[in-house]
Amino acid sequence: MATYDWIFNTLGLKDWCDGGATGNKTLSLSEMLAQAKGETVQTPWYETPFPSLDALNAACPTVARTRDMTSGVENGFLAAKDSLKFVLDPITQPLSWLLDGSLWLFLAIPWFILIPLLVIGTQFAVRKWAITALVLFTFLFLAFIDHYSFAIETLSIIFVCTFLCVLFGVPIGIMMSKSDRTQKAIIPVLDMLQTLPSFVYLIPLIFLFSVTESKLYGIAIILYAIVPIVRLTDLGIRLVDRDVTEAADAFGMTFRQKLFKVEIPLALPNIMAGLNQTIMMSLAMVVIASLVSAPGLGVLVLRGIRNLELGVGLVSGFCIVLLAVLLDRVSKAALARADESTHH
Amino acid sequence: MTTQPLVSIKGLYKIFGGNPQSVLPQVLKGMGKAELLEKHQHVLGLRDINVDMREGEITVIMGLSGSGKSTLIRHLNRLIEPTTGSIEVRGEDVLTYGEEKLRDLRRNLMSMVFQKFALLPHRTVEENAAMAREVRGETQAERLAEGRKWLERVGLGGFEKRYPHQLSGGMQQRVGIARALASDSPIMLMDEAFSALDPLIRTDMQDLLLELQKDLHKTIIFITHDLDEALKLADHLVILKDGYVVQQGEPQHILLNPNDPYIEDFVSDINRARVLRVRSVMQPINGQTDFAGVVDADDNLEHLIGLSGGDTYRTYKVQSNGEDVGALDMKALVRALVPAAASDSSTRRS
Repeated sequence: MATYDWIFNTLGLKDWCDGGATGNKTLSLSEMLAQAKGETVQTPWYETPFPSLDALNAACPTVARTRDMTSGVENGFLAAKDSLKFVLDPITQPLSWLLDGSLWLFLAIPWFILIPLLVIGTQFAVRKWAITALVLFTFLFLAFIDHYSFAIETLSIIFVCTFLCVLFGVPIGIMMSKSDRTQKAIIPVLDMLQTLPSFVYLIPLIFLFSVTESKLYGIAIILYAIVPIVRLTDLGIRLVDRDVTEAADAFGMTFRQKLFKVEIPLALPNIMAGLNQTIMMSLAMVVIASLVSAPGLGVLVLRGIRNLELGVGLVSGFCIVLLAVLLDRVSKAALARADESTHH
Repeated sequence: MTTQPLVSIKGLYKIFGGNPQSVLPQVLKGMGKAELLEKHQHVLGLRDINVDMREGEITVIMGLSGSGKSTLIRHLNRLIEPTTGSIEVRGEDVLTYGEEKLRDLRRNLMSMVFQKFALLPHRTVEENAAMAREVRGETQAERLAEGRKWLERVGLGGFEKRYPHQLSGGMQQRVGIARALASDSPIMLMDEAFSALDPLIRTDMQDLLLELQKDLHKTIIFITHDLDEALKLADHLVILKDGYVVQQGEPQHILLNPNDPYIEDFVSDINRARVLRVRSVMQPINGQTDFAGVVDADDNLEHLIGLSGGDTYRTYKVQSNGEDVGALDMKALVRALVPAAASDSSTRRS
C-alpha cells in the first residue's frame, strides 16, 4: 500500500498500472520488515513523500523509476555515441596530432636549448628583466628537483590548448559582438561550460573517445578554458569607443578594415585579459585531466593521492603553483604592454 | 552666390522608434513631436528639412541639444538612414547608393570632424592624419607624407610621432581637422567640432578654419550650439529647433530680421556690434557728399563706433573692393544695435 495509490485509483488507471507491473517490485527496508511482521506500514502524515518518480512507482509500477530514467539517458547517449563518434573522431583527430607532436617536440629538444629559448621568448614578449629572471630560475629549480620533464609536458599541453582557444575563441567572440542574436545564443552555452563541474566534462568524453587518445583531455581542456577569451573578446569589441567606430565608418572603412585596424587593436587589452584567464584555466584543467591520462605534473599529483605519497603530491602541487605564477606574470606583463600601446 | 547647390537636402524626415514607416503618414500630415511620442511612442528626429548647401560656402546648422542637428549631419554621409526624403550631392541622390558607392562617397567626397575628436588612440598623430588615405589603400610613404603636410598646415609640425593622448584637446582637434583635410574631399562635415574646447582655444580654431577656408574653398557643413560661433563662421545659417528648420538664410539677415520668438531669444544675448557688419546696416547713397570718412563694407560696427568716437551725427561712405556701395548713418548703426523685439516693446527682456 503506497501513499499515492489513491491518485491512480481515482483516475481509474489501476488496470494500466497493473498491466505494466514488472513483478520484481523493490521494497524499502521498512516495508520488508513490515512484510515480515505481516502488517502494512502506515506512513505518518508528516513523512508523506514528495510525489517523485520513485514514490509514484511504488503506487503504480508502470511509472518509470528515477533509476530507469538515468539508465535511459545512458542508453540514449550510448545509442547516439557511434554516430557522434563517426562525425567527431575525424574532426578532432588533428588535435591529437597537435598535442602529441608538441609533446614530442618539447621533450625532444634538450633542456640546455629549451630553457634558454623559453627565457629569450619571455624577454622578447614582456621586456621585463624581473619576469625573465623568474622564468629562468623557475625552470632551473624544476630541473634541479627532476620535475623538468613533467613541467614541460604540462606546458606543452597548455600551449597547444591555449593556441586553439585563441584560434576559435576570438572569432566566436567577434561574431558575438557583431550580432546581438548570436550573443544571446552563445552566452547560455558559455554559462554551461563555465558552471559544469570539471569532472562532468570527462564522463561523456571517456565514452566517445578512448582514454589512450590525447584529444580526450585536449577537448576537455579547450571546452573549459575557451570561455573567458570568448567573453572578453565580445566585451572588448563592444566596449570600443562608439565615436571611433563612427569615425571609421565616416571615412569609408570596410568591415575588415574596421575590424583589423580599429576594433581588434582597441579591444586588445580585454582580449589579452581573456588570454590570461584562458591560460590559467587550462592549467587548472590539465591537472584534473591527468585522470584521463594527460601527462605532466597532474600525474604526480594523482600518484600522491592514489598511493598516499604525501611528499610527491605536495612537491608536484608546489610545482604547479610555480608554473601558475610564472604563466600569470608573463601573460599579465604581455597584457600590460598591450594596454600601453592603446593608452586607455 | 548663385552657384548650383553642391549638397541639397529635400523633404527629409527621420523618425526614431520600432516601426517608423507605420507612423510616417501621420507625421507627413503634420503631427508634432510631443503628440507622436505620446500616441505612438516614436520620436520625431527631423521634420521636413530642406537645405541647400552651396559649393565653397560654410553652412552652419545651429540648434540647442536635442534639436536634431547631429542627426541631420549624419544623414549626409548616411551614418544614419532617413525615414523619407532625398539628399542630393552634385545632383545624385545618395540614398539610392549601394554599399560600394556609399563607401566611395565617404572616402572621396566627404570627410568628417567629430566633437570628441575620435582619433585612433593606438596610432601616432601622423598615422591618424593619414587615415583617410590609408583607407583608400595608398602606400605608407605616400599617405604619411600627405598626413605630415596637413599637420604642418594646421600648426602641428613637430608633433608627428606623438600619440593623441599626449596632446591637449585643441591640438587633438587640429589632428582631427588635418585628418579630414588630408582626404582631399570637397565636402567637410564638422559635428560640433569646437564645442569640447575651452573658449580661447575655440576662437583660435575658428580663426584657423576661416584661414584654411580662404585658401581651400571647401564646402563645409558645420554644426554648433553656439550662436557666436555660428555667426562668425556662417555664410549660410540654418537654425534648427525640435527637428525642423525655424529660419535659414544669411546670418546678418537673420540677426536683423528674426522671424520667430525662439530666434529673438537667441539673438538678444549676443554682442551685435561685433557681429553685425557695415553692409547689413548701410543705406544706398542718395546725393550725400559730406562724408566723415570711408569704411569697408565688411567692417563690423564695433570698429565704426571706435572710429567715430561715439559721434552719432557722422555719416560714412562705404566701399567694397574700391567701389562705393553705400552710406552709413551712425544713427542707423545705433538703432541696429538694439534687437528688433526690444525696440518694439521695452517690457520684453529675456
